[in-house]
Amino acid sequence: MSQIFDIVVIGAGPAGANAALTAAWAGCRVAMVDEQRKPGGQVWRAKNPVVLEAPTTPESRSGDALRQEVACSTVLTFAQSRVWQIESAASGWEIYVLKEGKVVTLVAKALILATGAREYVQPVPGWTTPGVIGLAGATAMFKQDLALPGQRTVVSGTGPLVFFVASEIRRLGGEVAAVVTPNSKREWLRAFPAMVRRPDLLVRGALWVADLYLAGVPIYWRHAVAEIDGETDVSGVTIRRLTRDWAPDGEPEFLGADSLCLGNGLTPAAEAAQLAGLELRYRADLGGWCPEVDASGETEREGLFLCGDGAGIRGAAAAEIHGKLTGETASAYVRGVAPGENHLLQQAYQRAARFGMAMTALSVPRKGLQTLMCADTVVCRCESLTRSDIVAEINAGAQSTLSVKSGLRAGMGPCGGKFCQGTISQLIAQAKGGEVSDVPPPTARPPLRPIPVAALAGDFEYDDLPIPKPAPL
Amino acid sequence: MIRLVPNHAARVQRARSVTFTFDDEAISGFVGETVATALQRGGHRLLRHAPEDGGARGAFCCMGLCQECLVQVGGRPVESCRLLVSADLTVTSLKRGAQSQ
Amino acid sequence: MTIVYDIAVVGGGIMGCAAALEMAAGGMRPIVLEQSDIGQGASGVNAGTLSLQIKRVKLMPYALKGHHAWARMGAAVGFKKTGGFTLAFTEREAELLTERQTLKAKAGAPIEFVSTKRLRNVEPNLAQKVVAASYCAEDGYANSSLTGQYFRGRLCDEAIEYQERCQILAIDRGASYQLTTSRGVIYAKRLLLAAGAWIKTAAALLDVHLPVDARINTVSVTERMPALISSVIGHATGLLTMKQKANGTVLVGGGWQGRGRPQEGRGQVMASSVMPNIALAQFAMPGLSKARILRSWTGFEANVPDFYPLAGALPGFDDAFVLGCVRGGYTIGPYIGQLMGDFILGREPELPLFDPGRDFDEDML
Repeated sequence: MSQIFDIVVIGAGPAGANAALTAAWAGCRVAMVDEQRKPGGQVWRAKNPVVLEAPTTPESRSGDALRQEVACSTVLTFAQSRVWQIESAASGWEIYVLKEGKVVTLVAKALILATGAREYVQPVPGWTTPGVIGLAGATAMFKQDLALPGQRTVVSGTGPLVFFVASEIRRLGGEVAAVVTPNSKREWLRAFPAMVRRPDLLVRGALWVADLYLAGVPIYWRHAVAEIDGETDVSGVTIRRLTRDWAPDGEPEFLGADSLCLGNGLTPAAEAAQLAGLELRYRADLGGWCPEVDASGETEREGLFLCGDGAGIRGAAAAEIHGKLTGETASAYVRGVAPGENHLLQQAYQRAARFGMAMTALSVPRKGLQTLMCADTVVCRCESLTRSDIVAEINAGAQSTLSVKSGLRAGMGPCGGKFCQGTISQLIAQAKGGEVSDVPPPTARPPLRPIPVAALAGDFEYDDLPIPKPAPL
Repeated sequence: MIRLVPNHAARVQRARSVTFTFDDEAISGFVGETVATALQRGGHRLLRHAPEDGGARGAFCCMGLCQECLVQVGGRPVESCRLLVSADLTVTSLKRGAQSQ
Repeated sequence: MTIVYDIAVVGGGIMGCAAALEMAAGGMRPIVLEQSDIGQGASGVNAGTLSLQIKRVKLMPYALKGHHAWARMGAAVGFKKTGGFTLAFTEREAELLTERQTLKAKAGAPIEFVSTKRLRNVEPNLAQKVVAASYCAEDGYANSSLTGQYFRGRLCDEAIEYQERCQILAIDRGASYQLTTSRGVIYAKRLLLAAGAWIKTAAALLDVHLPVDARINTVSVTERMPALISSVIGHATGLLTMKQKANGTVLVGGGWQGRGRPQEGRGQVMASSVMPNIALAQFAMPGLSKARILRSWTGFEANVPDFYPLAGALPGFDDAFVLGCVRGGYTIGPYIGQLMGDFILGREPELPLFDPGRDFDEDML
């Protein structure tokens, strides 16, 4: 059973939802698919039904406004639905979706990918300890459940996210033991010219930092968490000062805490783009491997459009505008007309992108951070493979992520390599004396998320089984 | 003490509290929050042991990617960061020694 | 000083590596040139089934030798001799099973027909709807993911040179073969084309047309499951292979077709193939319904119109050879690679090879 649309949008964050709305307003029949219960993406994630009432935030207000617009539009939202396979077809695209335990097929002339980002977390000794969560993961807890990661939390990582997370913990009544960030104050000052273009965000960030100072929360600039204590629960962390290249060189200092939020920048979630046939190239300034996309959302494949952080990390403000531009381009494609030039929107996008990319530049980990890993530090969480396992495989001749994956199962576990491939690429590059840009991630393979066998099997009738020509005897 | 970031904790209203079962233990949680959130509040951060080395694992990415917070409901694997608390929910962990359903 | 290798082996899969190892043991200096990574083509992505029940009758002697080769490689390639059942769920399938497995048994495979009661005793988690089954104690599997690691290690141990991510752009024939590659020019006295589904492209560089086609076989794997099956499971129609690895993951194959062409890179998975393939697996083993599929992928299986191997001199050449298109190539690969090496060394192969210059419309054997 398949449903036919002009455009299918994958992802309902600022980019996807705005693309969907723009295309729908242009008269296209649009379906939008998203894993979450409501549109908003990670940045404007909606509250779970647990929250009956709560003070609003800039994120909740932006998200509510977007959800309101989607609700009033003709966009058909497939919520709590997971895209697991993308195929090009004669008529356009076939999108296979898991919804309520069943497979639904959507067919569309144009496909817009707005799959956003995921977090890169630098492995350090003890990072698998329960009680260590991603910085981005922490924001999901705040936004959907208004819940805290623990009683007393160390918040550690790069870029602006570390201050947002610390601030949200305080807003929700928690205690921040310390903020630990590899960035120096000087790096932030250097980003100032890009930040003044968004005075609203600049003021907000300054407030977070000022509040932490007033509250006496220690901020460790140019530091990183080097080790997490605790077997089955976090009992504290050891931090160390870093060099300019972010390699640890200072004396270890212990901080007592029952939880740690840890993250080192965002990276484009590009698996869907790979499945749709797009090549990836390495762009450190955009957070890593990403497909080639222009400001109008066009890609190298006909009928395939892409917007938001999945095209390179430029932040929510840029994603929102990129979504609108892409919605226009895709709807023009569907109607068979040339897309109009929207110079004002283009300019706004470039402005927002400059700000976002300045934040990305602060967030992207430097090489030295790798040396926080010890030989027995787990790199692949699914298969419990350590740095020494990976390095031994590389030294035995595995020169690509594909070879390391095949030889060790690093990337064959349930997460599909989403949390180990970045580190493995770096370890290979280091061993070869090359650059990460020479070590692409392995081939993307469906399903994009684990899919229940029962859902794939569906209502199978044995007699419907096509009997093939017997194999030659 | 001056706070530039206000404390909103007291202004959050949540749905009613219920109990659900986690490995035969009654856990209290609010209806409609994620099971991962309720479990961590209840002191259950350890959700499973890694299959290869038995390493302790708990919720990590909190957005349905990493699969670290996997639990079982009705014998099927479910991401506890995406599963919502409801009364009478019975959750089994993938800890070593936990009873598979 | 320019090195002129005794032979350049184009393709670092099982067959190319096995032939290189044999030739090096025989005193030659080979170099293996692989467009991606060693053992990552069909050699590394197939379902790893080692079953005599799905081998061609006339290739049975080769398959038996192949099984022994895998057994010798042992734990390093994840080899497990588990025994295998082939199942029939309808009377029609039972007839097919009887007819085909009888011929294979006559060809030397130790295949027997077993009662459904015995099947249930060994594999209680299989569906109760089985009407007939055959069993072969020789059957088992190896872990195809380990092909690259294993053969790369063997090449290193024997000091055989290899180049990975090495695309062959042109081949010129002068005093020796000159291979222009993405990693520089390589000179060799002889050539062995063992490039799997890319053999056609490689031969075309020498203006030889080989009628090679490729099937695009789909394989899927579940996350770890509690123990469900201990044997390799097949289906009378060939539409299902299933095995549970030591780590608990269940691997499902059966030759369901993806799409794509070797010239365009890796093949693509088709949902319309994965879904019935998984449905059939769940039908055969209902307990699978509680698992999740983590990955599906495809691999190219090269063949020629008569579905027999290409193994011998490249038509019109006495110092260029071709090896591939072996149905059941994972099983037979290590052995036929060795035969090919012997042939190039000027020795009499233990079993006959398959002339690539034959008339493909005739039944050759």
